[in-house]
Amino acid sequence: MTAATISQDDFLKFQEYFYRKTGIRFEDNKRYFVDKRLLERMDQTGSASFREYFSRLRFEADGNEVQALVNLMTVNETYFFREDYQFDCLVKSILPEIVARKKDTNPIRIWALPSSSGEEAYTIAMCLIERWPGIESHDVEIISSDIDTNILAQARVGLYSDRSTMHVPEAYLRKYFKRTAGGFQIDDTLRGAVEFTRVNLQDPSDVKPYRNFDIIFCRNLLIYFDDISRKQAAETFYDALRPGGFILLGHSESMSRISSLFRIRKFEDAIVYQRPGVGT
Amino acid sequence: MAFIKKSNVARDPADNERAAPRDLAGLVRELDDPNPVARRWAARDLAGHTQASAALLSRLQQEDEISVREVILTALMRIADPAAIAGLVICLRSEDANLRNEAIEAMKSLPVEVAPIMRTLLVDRDPDVRIFAINILESLRHPDVEAWLIEVIDQEPLVNVCGTAVDLLSEVGSSASHDALERLKARFAAEPYIQFAAALALKRIAPVPDGPQ
Repeated sequence: MTAATISQDDFLKFQEYFYRKTGIRFEDNKRYFVDKRLLERMDQTGSASFREYFSRLRFEADGNEVQALVNLMTVNETYFFREDYQFDCLVKSILPEIVARKKDTNPIRIWALPSSSGEEAYTIAMCLIERWPGIESHDVEIISSDIDTNILAQARVGLYSDRSTMHVPEAYLRKYFKRTAGGFQIDDTLRGAVEFTRVNLQDPSDVKPYRNFDIIFCRNLLIYFDDISRKQAAETFYDALRPGGFILLGHSESMSRISSLFRIRKFEDAIVYQRPGVGT
Repeated sequence: MAFIKKSNVARDPADNERAAPRDLAGLVRELDDPNPVARRWAARDLAGHTQASAALLSRLQQEDEISVREVILTALMRIADPAAIAGLVICLRSEDANLRNEAIEAMKSLPVEVAPIMRTLLVDRDPDVRIFAINILESLRHPDVEAWLIEVIDQEPLVNVCGTAVDLLSEVGSSASHDALERLKARFAAEPYIQFAAALALKRIAPVPDGPQ
């Protein structure tokens, strides 16, 4: 290991840089988490000091080191059927409303982010197959995005631990997963149902193509952003949704505290936010 | 019917709203586009141009579409240069209550940028602006908030402004505010609200007595 250390000034410099790049701000209470990962990257890149590493980070032409660091710094813990009531809301209330007002044959489009290792997007696919009869008569596109390319690769493979699958109903586990030496392997039906893409929500060029969605799942991501980045994310979602489209946030998050662009919809199973527009 | 995948995430990548050149001049022109979606995208893209504050502020004064106003304000918060801050201060003087509130909300998120002008705002010739400045302090994450409020209650001649400041001190004050609150009570001895609010603030900032050992 390198004998280098991260000073308070180094930390502040990194904090500001990483915030500008990703919208994620690490406060002082995350020093240990940040230092550990910075030192790991410094060691792996052979950087003798933070200054040397930081210079590489900022000026490296291909951006590979920035991506490697982002991959290390982002939190990727999730599991199948997390906050299950929102999936009930999806199939019982949101999708029927979308279908009722739909006048074209275009697919219903769902964007789930951050994808992490894919559990949420695959849960959505399972819920649509198992709990929504409308899947028989409508095409659906599920796109799931993350800033971390390593975790996206893992999501595409679809191999999960006992802990990650602990809330999957037994019948679904038998139907969609195969027990292997490395864990539970998700089947090709579900792997074929989700497209995984890399996106930095704070980069307008990255988010520009994400348009015409009917539903966005963005749970437990905005809590990592500061106020301005949250507002920017809300505006990105507004433009990504069709008029009348819905956004679902994590249980501790409230769009009302971030932006006045969306209206609150109280359904039987969950509170969600809706872009005003057609039929609303 | 089925799940489908497409290689391009945009179903209709007809980016007409972003068809104009994305340089500063093109984006500024597009702020006046009749299509609100184009104006919104122009404002979003202008967040990356440090010279865009004046154009954004000018558009904000006349923009009716709420989704565009929000994006303009976020772009100004991102740019946060002296021109943007000065423009937000002008919005505080507007007759349009929405615009004033939007400016207050934006400035609450800019502690570093607002701090250098806070003392000036707190002694502005317009008492409404002085009250709005205290409103900004409500959730401004800055270590000098209490010190600024102490200066207000020591120097402010109007009871309404002092009342707003003392209300906030009862939330954010510490023992450092104690003497200034006593002086305020003495200065406005005939004002029942100040007596009540200052007494409440003093009670809240009093150190919790040690319990029995």
